[in-house]
Amino acid sequence: MKNNILIIGGGPAGLEASAQLQRMGYNVILIEKSPKLGGHLAKWDRLFPDSVQAEEVLGRLLKGAEGVKCFTDTDVRAINRLDKSYNVRLTNGITVLSDAVLVASGFDLFDAVKKEEYGYGIYDQVMTNADLEAYFKSGSDRRIEKPGKIGFAHCVGSRDEKSGCRSCSKVCCATAVKQAIEMKQAFPDAEVFCFYMDLRLFGRHYEDIYLKAQKEYGVRFIRGRVAEVSENYDGTLLVKAEDTVAGKPLKVTLDLLVLMAGMRPSASGKAIGDLLEMSVEEDGYFAVRSGIAAGQRSPIPGIFLAGAATGPKTLPETLADARAAAMEVDRYLTEIFPDAKNYKQLVRERW
Amino acid sequence: MKDYRLKEGLNACINCGTCTAICPAAEFYRYDPRRIVDIVQSKDDEEIEKLLKSDTIWYCGECMSCVTRCPRKNAAGLIIMSLRNLSIELGYFIESEKGRQQYLLTKDLCSNVLDYGYCVYPRRFDYAGHPEAGRVWEWEEKHLDDLFERLGGNLDGKGTGAMRRIPQEDLDQLKAIFDITGATARMENVRKAGEKKAAEWGLTEEEFIAKIYTDSDPKHLNH
Amino acid sequence: MIYEGKQKIWSDYQKEIPDDHYFYVRSCIRQSFFPASEATFLDITRNKLGKDIFETEHHTTCGGIAYHSDTIPQETVMTIIARQFALMAKNGYENYVCSCITSFGLYCETMETWREYPELEAKIRENLWKSCKLEFAKPKFLIHASDLIYKYRNQIAAQAVRKLVNVHTGEPLKVVEHIGCHYSKMFPSKGVGGAEYPYVLVGMVEAWGGEIVDYPERRHCCGFGFRQYFIKGNRGYSLSNTHKKFESMEPFKPDLIITNCPGCPYFLDRWQYVIAESTGKTYGQDGHGIPALTYEEVAGLVMGYDPWDLGLQTHQVGVEPLLDKMGVPYDPSKKYLGKNGKDIGEPLPCACLK
Repeated sequence: MKNNILIIGGGPAGLEASAQLQRMGYNVILIEKSPKLGGHLAKWDRLFPDSVQAEEVLGRLLKGAEGVKCFTDTDVRAINRLDKSYNVRLTNGITVLSDAVLVASGFDLFDAVKKEEYGYGIYDQVMTNADLEAYFKSGSDRRIEKPGKIGFAHCVGSRDEKSGCRSCSKVCCATAVKQAIEMKQAFPDAEVFCFYMDLRLFGRHYEDIYLKAQKEYGVRFIRGRVAEVSENYDGTLLVKAEDTVAGKPLKVTLDLLVLMAGMRPSASGKAIGDLLEMSVEEDGYFAVRSGIAAGQRSPIPGIFLAGAATGPKTLPETLADARAAAMEVDRYLTEIFPDAKNYKQLVRERW
Repeated sequence: MKDYRLKEGLNACINCGTCTAICPAAEFYRYDPRRIVDIVQSKDDEEIEKLLKSDTIWYCGECMSCVTRCPRKNAAGLIIMSLRNLSIELGYFIESEKGRQQYLLTKDLCSNVLDYGYCVYPRRFDYAGHPEAGRVWEWEEKHLDDLFERLGGNLDGKGTGAMRRIPQEDLDQLKAIFDITGATARMENVRKAGEKKAAEWGLTEEEFIAKIYTDSDPKHLNH
Repeated sequence: MIYEGKQKIWSDYQKEIPDDHYFYVRSCIRQSFFPASEATFLDITRNKLGKDIFETEHHTTCGGIAYHSDTIPQETVMTIIARQFALMAKNGYENYVCSCITSFGLYCETMETWREYPELEAKIRENLWKSCKLEFAKPKFLIHASDLIYKYRNQIAAQAVRKLVNVHTGEPLKVVEHIGCHYSKMFPSKGVGGAEYPYVLVGMVEAWGGEIVDYPERRHCCGFGFRQYFIKGNRGYSLSNTHKKFESMEPFKPDLIITNCPGCPYFLDRWQYVIAESTGKTYGQDGHGIPALTYEEVAGLVMGYDPWDLGLQTHQVGVEPLLDKMGVPYDPSKKYLGKNGKDIGEPLPCACLK
């Protein structure tokens, strides 16, 4: 018998897990609340560290998931635990009886409006990392017209208790370096500044792009968090930070400031978590069953987690996490699930 | 150090510099509030003692602009206030040019409060000491009674109104509060330390005050 | 500048301001330098709007300036504040309105600290009993006097005889707002509009027909700095900060600065004088400065008070260009007269500032 598996979230994690589980012979149903598959990846132009086109990566993921039953514009309306399985009512009217559920609800970008002192949505020349990717894709944005001086503000809504987020979003440093290079490529005469607290460039080849940004593109890295943004008479921006290496306050006039909005637990994921009464940690992301050793099992038997639903991850990490989740689902469905008599005991022992 | 301001003001600092970036003192003086927070959290007693004896802790204007911005919910301004408190308690304030100014500030402001019930009292705000108050204050100073009458005030008058004479019973209560909460003891402390310093320098009180009122070493400045 | 973005933030920071029945406490600096402003506040609220604003002769300073000059301990200032609260309760009030921003910040800080550390509140209670044999109740609502004028801004507009409009061009006056640092920088939720884009003064200016101009150093401190102004050797701090603000606002050509802190209009006024006299630089038109007024003075002007009753003659920066723009009638010969036309001389002219 083919088990039904419901995967919630059609971003990279959901797509990759779908592909893997389908290959294993399961009957996968993938739902996505928005009209389009791909999640944030579908909105991104190029990816760090090697500037591969996001579209190309997404194309591969979609190809892998071909054959998966897929509902877009669809969310979960209700979810009930039966003896072993889950009865899930979808907003499109369909009800699914699922033996395992994988929550791949991802992240939301931090709403940069909330970082009031940066003036996003108030000062004309302030944009976010996502806006800049949209510009790279479309080639037009009213804010970008031969900018002479461009700044990147790291840690917007990350590592910031005032914004309700203590943790690091992991991907923004590398994204800022990538985008800084891309802006230099687009506007070779522009001066580009990155305002950072710590450069967290831990992954393979990340240090290489940092070096490239410094050596080949002359991007200036200033160790100091942006403290305040305001608008000059001519519409340019005045940005204040401390150059903490020199120990001096610094004021820079910029034509464009890009805010590296961080990751927040997705709101729609939270709604699903509420339906399941699934616990979250202090940072708002879902808690996993037993720390780092079982990173894809939720505390609830039969419910699995993959991708940024359990905290910020890079794309390769998300994909690896999705594959691991597929393995975990498979193990559950082969080792615990089939034995009806001992199910409860097995769950107690092995979940 | 038992100080609620320190408790409230100091979580672990991340050294991001948002406090210094917008600090009105940091641009004018050679001053970096971030460094102060860093020293306090280092718990290095020797460094902290140096700080308490230095001019550095007296550069802040207590505008509290830093409080709004800190991503770790620290309050550099509150930390400064508790350091100043400690510097005064330990008598270290008298060792620095800026710290020494507490002698005059304490004398003037506390007597305004105890004598009149106000922190600022116009008859004690003189044009000679405050030429920046302008020609208009030079004129006002000479006609305070007439002007307060003209402008609906009640300078030194009975009852309610702007700058009314505050009844003696209320001033007595302020004095009792000063006695019970340590303000009187602090005034005494500061007075003694100042007198000792003045004697050390061979100055009368008047000369000492004139000196601390105007002394300003260019080394404080950023530019 | 995207106006709707600010509106969104303003809607996030609304605070409850009761309509009536307040215990009123004065500001040391406002009554020393702007006594007419407090008189105007009381006249507008009590006589024009019919509100109950109670003042007792027994209230004193809150001690805020002494505290922020580090001359008295925290316990002292908190006990003085507790005494003011006791007077409020004794007179049967639970809404507390203060004229001073330093006080307002301190009241907020005190209440928040007590909330966090109840043992400190207990200690202060004990202090107050020992020293004054008084017991206090905390205010139910704590607001600044500018919050109240903000609350009544539309009623004031309804009674206004003129607007913040240039009568010669029909254009709204360009107004710069300056919020006292201690209004909401420590506790953004305690201020109307929050800390980054406070709405308390913007709301008044908009209701009275003016146009707010934002400028880069809007949020910067006026430079009072307590000890940084009182001591002559430190005053460069104060001057340099005001100077920074004026250099930043200059290209926007504001007609007027409106303030809600008692000290700021003094510093923004007097340091313009010092800059003009020492460097020849002025920030208004044709050698004039930019008038820096209290919100009570601005309210008084739109409501038709005589400018000399409002005390505008005690500003060093001449207000006549503003009065001319607004079409405010005034008698120049009466500017410096005392009560009942008494001749009390007049200030010497400035060398540079008109």
